[in-house]
Amino acid sequence: MTVAAWLPVATLLSSLTPGLLIFALPAGAHRTRIAFNLIGAALKLVLVALLLWGVWLGERYEARLTLVPELDLVLRVDPLAMLFVTLSAGLWFVTTIYAISYLAGTEHQNRFFGFFAICVAATTGIALAGNAITFLIFYELLTLSTWPLVVHRGDAGSLAAGRHYLAYTLAGSAPLLLGVVWMQSLTGPVEFAEGPQLGAHLDTDRGLLILIFWLLIAGLGVKAALVPLHGWLPTAMVAPAPVSALLHAVAVVKAGAFGIVRVVHDVYGTTLVRELGVGLPLALLAAATILYGSVLALRQTDLKRRLAFSTVSQVSYITLGVALAGPIATIGGLVHLIHQGLMKITMFFCAGAFAETVHAHRIDQLDGIGRRMPWTTLAFSVAALGMIGVPPVAGFISKWYLGTGALEAGQPWVIFVLGASSLLNAAYFLPVLYRAWFRPPAGCWHEDAHRAGSRFETSAGLFLPPVVTAAAALAAGLFAGFAASPLGWATLIAALGHGR
Amino acid sequence: MSGPAEAGLIAAVAAPLALALLTVAGARLGPRLAVLTPVAALPALAVALFVPAGTGIVLPGVLLGLDLRIDPVARVFLGFTALIWAAAGLYGRTYLAADAGRLRFDAFFLATMAGNLGLILAADVAGFYLFFSLMTLAAYGLVIHDGTPFARRAGQAYIVLAVLGEACLLLGFMLAAAAADGRAIAGLPAAVAASPARDLTLALLLAGFGIKAGMVPLHVWLPVAHPAAPTPASAALSGAIIKAGIFGLLRFLPLGEAGAEAWGAAIVALGFFTACYGVLAGLPQHRPKTVLAYSSLSQMGLILAGIGSVLIDPAALPLALAATALYATHHGLAKAGLFLGVGVLATAGRRAHRRLILAALVVPALAIAGAPLTSGALAKLALKDIATTGGAAWADAERLLSFASVGTTLLMARFLVVAWRAARPATAAAVPRAGLWLPWLTLVIAGFAAAWALFTELHDEPLTYAAAPGRLWTQSWPVLLGALLAGLAFLPSVRRALAPIAIPEGDVIAAAGPLGRMVVTGAGLAARRSPKPAVRPPRPGAVTRPAAAEARLRRWPVTGMTLLLVAAALLAALRFG
Repeated sequence: MTVAAWLPVATLLSSLTPGLLIFALPAGAHRTRIAFNLIGAALKLVLVALLLWGVWLGERYEARLTLVPELDLVLRVDPLAMLFVTLSAGLWFVTTIYAISYLAGTEHQNRFFGFFAICVAATTGIALAGNAITFLIFYELLTLSTWPLVVHRGDAGSLAAGRHYLAYTLAGSAPLLLGVVWMQSLTGPVEFAEGPQLGAHLDTDRGLLILIFWLLIAGLGVKAALVPLHGWLPTAMVAPAPVSALLHAVAVVKAGAFGIVRVVHDVYGTTLVRELGVGLPLALLAAATILYGSVLALRQTDLKRRLAFSTVSQVSYITLGVALAGPIATIGGLVHLIHQGLMKITMFFCAGAFAETVHAHRIDQLDGIGRRMPWTTLAFSVAALGMIGVPPVAGFISKWYLGTGALEAGQPWVIFVLGASSLLNAAYFLPVLYRAWFRPPAGCWHEDAHRAGSRFETSAGLFLPPVVTAAAALAAGLFAGFAASPLGWATLIAALGHGR
Repeated sequence: MSGPAEAGLIAAVAAPLALALLTVAGARLGPRLAVLTPVAALPALAVALFVPAGTGIVLPGVLLGLDLRIDPVARVFLGFTALIWAAAGLYGRTYLAADAGRLRFDAFFLATMAGNLGLILAADVAGFYLFFSLMTLAAYGLVIHDGTPFARRAGQAYIVLAVLGEACLLLGFMLAAAAADGRAIAGLPAAVAASPARDLTLALLLAGFGIKAGMVPLHVWLPVAHPAAPTPASAALSGAIIKAGIFGLLRFLPLGEAGAEAWGAAIVALGFFTACYGVLAGLPQHRPKTVLAYSSLSQMGLILAGIGSVLIDPAALPLALAATALYATHHGLAKAGLFLGVGVLATAGRRAHRRLILAALVVPALAIAGAPLTSGALAKLALKDIATTGGAAWADAERLLSFASVGTTLLMARFLVVAWRAARPATAAAVPRAGLWLPWLTLVIAGFAAAWALFTELHDEPLTYAAAPGRLWTQSWPVLLGALLAGLAFLPSVRRALAPIAIPEGDVIAAAGPLGRMVVTGAGLAARRSPKPAVRPPRPGAVTRPAAAEARLRRWPVTGMTLLLVAAALLAALRFG
């Protein structure tokens, strides 16, 4: 194999290998496990940097393994894949650091970190998948490797959430599998690199194409938490904070949203989506999800639950942008893949830090937390303002492109959805900020061991990750004009992919 | 591309912003940097004075291509805005010297300042929105700084309306940018005028900026929030920040374009309605800062009317821009001066000092009323100039402005009375400190100087023009009439008749009772908080009468509200019937 083939494989293995090795470790080998984790995550960052450089220069890397004729496993690197891989590699690194601190001193860490790494490997596989079958395989691997993380605590609530999660996601697998197989029977193997091939069947199988589209969306929509398929997500927030962070920002919901991007862009193509008339219903579904998630978030008193419903709402921005199928709205949707990830992971990191440091879980326990944990609260505030859409945080850039893109695509109703969503976001995030910064502390904090021996407001491992991701969310918006920003990258993808 | 002038543009915004960040960042560094707070506005002032119009710099990587640029209108707004922030910053050093939360105040103060200055220089719509949002959100920290129940209630009213305004602006900006297919502000007004979504865009922009400028009926937050903030912040809110709404309208409305005459007429109507409403709702107030806030509302109404008239008659644009800029400068400096003066008066222990200070307060009060040869008189002359170019809507501008002048004089008289009554210092020997009266007097003097300087650009022989006997008379009689009416209010029988009229601060919100409170609290701010005691700020000057029936009547704000609405409706009927 050439270098061009090895790079994507190595990127996949950089997460998979530590995961498998960690299972083989004895339970007490904390240092070795941490070393495996960090070496894997650091190596992955280096590989991703190499890939980014190559793709920027126009290279396309591909590794192909033929299982049986007509059934190839393909890992392929294109700009869209890199958008997702870079996000998952960067956030895996910070989440690993966070998780090491968060779980310090608890049991079953090997199981946790093993599945954690495999989960990231599956996400990488989804991003790099070069055809529909490869995508499907990694998509199922993700489902299975995430379940042990959701039920990690092992109590009744976790197990119930785990059952809920499996019921939803496995049920989602069926239509996805059906859709992919049906599609393959129509056109042969669906290679993303070749661009959309389904247009040839428009005249003969129009109804079938529409049916397959909705089968695929139904399967992907479960993970992307499109209403009414979102039920598993708020329940799954019983998982430890780093799992929630990864679930909501990188792995599961993003895999669904990314799949929808692939379907619209590389399987059907925006032209066909327009001709079939399926874009508008999908956009309406996404818009309904945006509003519904926000309204439900408003009613939650538990911080993590409020964040979970906020994810339901925010992830649908991606679907909305892609479904509108206009060049500018597409940029808005794609860039939100990164922006939402940075902002939401920050908020879950902070929620975890509040809970671990001073045992504050509910929103009314956050009174005056800004005095006790100023930097964590500041990171949370940056992310929350970004979600509302306040410039210069990244969320504003997404909203601006989605709004102007919708107008350009002739769908002016979308800006009212965005406006209402902004108001709802403000209504459920600003009170939290008000309590944190302006209310006097409610009483004595229940201090925890995480404070001891740290020069920060909590342990270093819980402190640095949210600060770093909040800074990244701020930088992604403030310096959006640079070509190397997420916006610049999304613009590149949209320019390459549009009109196919 | 970037010489000292361009660097100055960046420094004007970056200086307060960097200082705000440093204030937040270092617990040990912060207090030492506090001395720099008033200095932070000076780069902007230098830019306004020395950087030639037309200078600009584009930072392509920042946000969506941040474009900072200065043009003649921006220069004027930047100049008085920077001056107000510098004076308020200096004043705050003394005013808040003993305040435990001074550091937090400084950080919000500087951030608000950076936003206020930045939006004036921004030449791309994303940059404008960035700075506008920064100003709006950071000012929340100023409004609720005192932490009293009154300040918290004001904060709620403020943030709900502010977020609504931000949302309106974001949608309006998206529509405008999509119509223009670009983000340069210079290209937006024409594109909006030609856009099929013109009416929606204009409605959103007018609502968004109208909230900031206190346009009735979007003003409800203003008479509560402006006085609730500490005095230096009140001065900045009522002097500078309120003008950001006016500035936004000047920047984004299609003022030089024909075709929006109906919108022009509506804005003129809303403007005059706001002008009358501010006077009528302000007169029964009992706190000096609240009276001033209502006066700001009323004055913004006059500027709004001036802006609206340009939509009716696009040819009046150059004159209207100059007049609006002059009016904004005059009002900004005089009103900020009055706010700062209230604080000076409150610290004077000796009666002789208080008399002296009151006498000095009369000067900016006369200017706001528009007495001849004051900055206000020049501003009103410039506003009347628009009428002489032939805008049909302004045929009776002379009459309306004179009428407004009578009302404003009454309101200013009311202000002086309640300010005098409210000033009850703790110690009899207290003497106002230089840190308070120096910035105050500087603003008052600067107001006059700046207005004359700007007026000189409009008329070759300003003094001859402004002091012509005819103009002296048309500007004198409303003030004299107003003063006479104010004098009548001291007669015991008139006082008894007026006593039952009470209009709560924030008129509509407070009077609408449950519904108004629902609007303010309904957005879930501070959700599920403990039941709030009914908040009623102290009324230092309230006449106490034992008669139970009348007490009940006085507590019944609907009397005043009804009176107010009836009067306003009558006025509207008179004007547009």
